[in-house]
Amino acid sequence: MTVGGDFDLVVVGAGHAGCEAAGAAARMGARVAVVTLHKRTIAQMPCNPAMGGIGKGHLLAEVDALGGFQGWAADRAGIQFKTLNVSRGPAVWGPRAQCDKARYSEIMRRVLSGLPRLTIVEGEVIGLLSDDGAVVGVRLADGRRFRARSTILTTGTFLGGVLHSGDERRPGGRFGERPSIGLGAELVGLGLVLRRFKTGTPPRLKRSSLDFDRLEVQHGDREPRPFSWRSSSVRNRISCWLTRTPERVQTIIEENIHRSPLFSGAIEGVGPRYCPSIEDKVVRFPHHREHTVFLEPEGLATESVYVNGLSTSLPHDVQEAVVHAVPGLEAAEFLRHGYAVEYDMVAPGQVGMDLGCRDVPGLALAGQVLGTSGYEEAAALGFLAGANAVLRGRGEDLFHPAREDSYLGVLVDDLVNRDHVEPYRMFTSRAEHRLLLGVDSARERLMGQGVRLGLVRPAAFHVEQNRWNARSRAKAMLEGMNLNPDRATREAVVQACGIEFTSPATWAQLLRRQDVDLDRAGRNIPELSSLNDEDRRIVVGSLRYEGYLDRHRREIERVRRLRRVKLPGDLDPGAIPGLSREVVEQLERHRPVTLADAERLPGMTPAATAILAGRLARGGADS
Amino acid sequence: MEMASSSGLSSALVGGADTIVARSSPAGRGGLALIRVSGRETRALAAAVIPELDMDRGWRASLVELRSSGGERIDRAVAIPYRNPRSYTGEDMLEVMVHGSPWIIRATIEAFVAAGARRAGPGEFTRRAVANGKLDLVQAEAVNELISAETAWQARVARAQIDGRLSREFAELQATLVDLLAEIEGALDFAQHDIPFDVESAEKRRRRALNQIGALLATASRGRRIRDGVRVVIVGPPNSGKSTLFNLLVGQERAIVSPHPGTTRDVVEAELEVAGVRLILKDTAGLGATSDPVEREGVRRAMGAAADADAVLLLWPADGARDAVPAAAENQPTLRVRSKWDLAGAEEVPPGWTVVSCRTGEGVGGLRDALSRMVEAEVADLGGEIAIAERHRRGLEVAAAELEGADFALPEVGAEAVRGALEAVRELTGEVGTEDLLDRIFSEFCIGK
Ligand SMILES: Cc1cc2nc3c(=O)[nH]c(=O)nc-3n(C[C@H](O)[C@H](O)[C@H](O)COP(=O)(O)OP(=O)(O)OC[C@H]3O[C@@H](n4cnc5c(N)ncnc54)[C@H](O)[C@@H]3O)c2cc1C
Repeated sequence: MTVGGDFDLVVVGAGHAGCEAAGAAARMGARVAVVTLHKRTIAQMPCNPAMGGIGKGHLLAEVDALGGFQGWAADRAGIQFKTLNVSRGPAVWGPRAQCDKARYSEIMRRVLSGLPRLTIVEGEVIGLLSDDGAVVGVRLADGRRFRARSTILTTGTFLGGVLHSGDERRPGGRFGERPSIGLGAELVGLGLVLRRFKTGTPPRLKRSSLDFDRLEVQHGDREPRPFSWRSSSVRNRISCWLTRTPERVQTIIEENIHRSPLFSGAIEGVGPRYCPSIEDKVVRFPHHREHTVFLEPEGLATESVYVNGLSTSLPHDVQEAVVHAVPGLEAAEFLRHGYAVEYDMVAPGQVGMDLGCRDVPGLALAGQVLGTSGYEEAAALGFLAGANAVLRGRGEDLFHPAREDSYLGVLVDDLVNRDHVEPYRMFTSRAEHRLLLGVDSARERLMGQGVRLGLVRPAAFHVEQNRWNARSRAKAMLEGMNLNPDRATREAVVQACGIEFTSPATWAQLLRRQDVDLDRAGRNIPELSSLNDEDRRIVVGSLRYEGYLDRHRREIERVRRLRRVKLPGDLDPGAIPGLSREVVEQLERHRPVTLADAERLPGMTPAATAILAGRLARGGADS
Repeated sequence: MEMASSSGLSSALVGGADTIVARSSPAGRGGLALIRVSGRETRALAAAVIPELDMDRGWRASLVELRSSGGERIDRAVAIPYRNPRSYTGEDMLEVMVHGSPWIIRATIEAFVAAGARRAGPGEFTRRAVANGKLDLVQAEAVNELISAETAWQARVARAQIDGRLSREFAELQATLVDLLAEIEGALDFAQHDIPFDVESAEKRRRRALNQIGALLATASRGRRIRDGVRVVIVGPPNSGKSTLFNLLVGQERAIVSPHPGTTRDVVEAELEVAGVRLILKDTAGLGATSDPVEREGVRRAMGAAADADAVLLLWPADGARDAVPAAAENQPTLRVRSKWDLAGAEEVPPGWTVVSCRTGEGVGGLRDALSRMVEAEVADLGGEIAIAERHRRGLEVAAAELEGADFALPEVGAEAVRGALEAVRELTGEVGTEDLLDRIFSEFCIGK
């Protein structure tokens, strides 16, 4: 029988995906085993020392609103907080924090260890237990077996991992860690299709070897704000630095480009376009004379500094030449050289919107192994997979986030229903309803769901509810308040937001003008004084969106109507007359859950949607 | 896996599984008639109706026997098989040339229907060509225009549009908008990487897009002139010979001609082709002239009433009061004609005028030439062969309005406007299309195309 034990859920891997999956499931009441290679690398940040940003910060805020851990842990491990895009409207604010990596990992390890129904197991999973085509647990290298109704794989970059640094290549999952070899073959055996991706990381330098006189200091926000509704305040503890590559770097790289595994052909995996290595950047943007380099400390107690912008897998001597050519880094000592990792991922079209494998019952996937890149994407998917494992176990409706409601929905929908040729990273431009999906509205949109899942305290939900109610009251006041262009009022308006007006208008109308100084307006409008700083800025900023919001709301209303129409699981598209072969193929391949999902498939037309709808109204496909 | 998506256009419900049949030559009796079959089952249908036809001998004509479902001989005909994707629709196709007897045509179509084909709806062949990526929507629209072209210019513009000239213009506009959007999105999503939002550069791209739209919109009136005709109005005082000239140009006794002033009560219209362009010539009554003491005022009013014309042919009789000669129309090109030149006596030809005598025929050839030059200038002067149609004008105006309202002070709001403009242009080219739009476009087609 089983040596390890019986669980509701086994999570393989304790990276960012695995931690959220296991955490959510255990807190929802499931008995969970997390099997991971090393306890010391739980929630390790193998690349940059930052959480959040634009798009990623949106995901982080959403997972937090749903009751996940990541934002809360980042608040505690954060050492410098900075919201990006603050000069713009709230929809595109990107909260970001530099974290103390060791502390982040430590916090996650502690919180997971403290969960009563969760067991952390150190070991390597080399196979899956299956029963009649369904996965029913895992097999470890040391012979132990763990049985569970659900298994979630979150093995990151470990499947068939190969590390590259210049001409050197050796098997590995991350720096200093062995890859996971047997598991990939096991997945192929289950009929899953794997693909090869790659990603890279820059060198780490020794802090005391940098010449700070030649570096530009970058401070955090003056009033840093926490990510999580669970945190009341956060503090900046460090500064970062900035420098720029000189033109000489271009020459050095060009002369050595044949030694790069990316260009010599040694790496076949496809890397992310938007996170290019310095050799990529030099080749692709030869007209850019300089590239910005950010120097980000990896923690308070460590000397290690992350060189953001110099991701590379060039040979060590070339890396050193490049780094030493950069002002401020002339004498920099290397703690670790940059490297790239090439790994197998499971093509995400094979999972459904709940992240369960369509053709392998009992098995779900989340994180980098499903083709994403980044801690936040991994955490978001992990959360979803964990919550759904529990819901499925209870026989309840699964959590299917929709793309019109959240970035989480955009992420899953894009992954599952689109083909990807490179690691997927979240951007705000991926969301068609971006103006409605800002970090400012994440709690309003998702906290209720968090309460329903049992992961958010109702009391906390009410606090937030009061906040957004106060915002809508303030907005209504601005909409209703008429201003006359008399001298005193005009002066007051110039004072408050820097604009002149000549004919009577409401506050809201004035604030929609393109020449309003949003920052100033947020601070100075007397009618908003009851709100806190952030809420004032949200109210003022979102007024400018108004003209476009109606358009989005109408479209969303339409999509929601379609979303209420569920497609039966046994639908046979081929048996529906009037659908073209392309549409039938798309429906068979992606197996959309609702009519709204079906509508987004390539080649799907309004008429085909109408046929499907008509078919469903008449009581499903013939059988 | 790569997906062969037909650039977002419907391939569902363009008939999909059905194989369609229709007569493609005009109705009525003719020497020959063309019958077309298209769809997945073409091969099987051919086997039933033309057992001897070798579908693998594609793109070549062969002489064959057509047989009804009962095995009865219908006709000896010429058949050409086409194999997908090298056919008009992109599907397997068959074209059969039969004798033009209504019975033979009907029997042939019925034979194909009996073998499993469905009668095609209007424009269904072209719609399939669009769905299969053989034509884009803009090209497909022109197919219909080419079929109904009556003048050289109509055919020329339609041909250029089918060849993709207008599609390329739309593609360039789209490229500008995509670049603009990419610039905004890049600045929003990569703010962390120190990529600033360059408002000036965005403004430049916006202007470029607006210029591209403007240049296309400028061809709208020209498109209308080519498609609907150039409207030329003859104005002049009563009894200046307007109707006589009208008849002379039209070549038939269309207007009522009499020596008594004020005979032409209503506007009389005729169509003629001048310089390859359809020209709609209008003869006006000598408006209000009898009650007006000054003839010149009457003509001025007539010209005002002709404000919706594209050009004016101003007639002034040689025996009319010389000091009363009105100026050219303000907003339209005006061809000034001294009529009844046979009565001019020793008068010199005034500069800027064409002289004509309808009675002697003097100057009529010169007048035709002048008219021809004026029409050419009206249509061809804008250069090129591009002329957008009404649907394009509406879409482009939506795009322009979106762009003009774009708020770059908040890039995420500016991006909404650019996305809106892009959507409008994509709808033009059929990349995002609603089925209603397609229905509307293809319903104007004839069956068999
Ligand atoms: C070299 C490198 C460069 C990167 N560069 C970037 C970047 O530029 N930008 C970016 O956004 N992201 C980057 N990342 C990615 C980021 O680190 C990941 O996206 C994120 O950590 C993924 O989280 P995860 O939970 O999916 O996997 P991981 O955090 O990798 O966690 C995987 C976990 O699975 C465990 N595991 C693996 N195999 C087994 C097994 N057989 N049995 C038991 N346990 C197993 C491991 O011990 C580990 O705990 C990079 C990662 C690496 C390694």
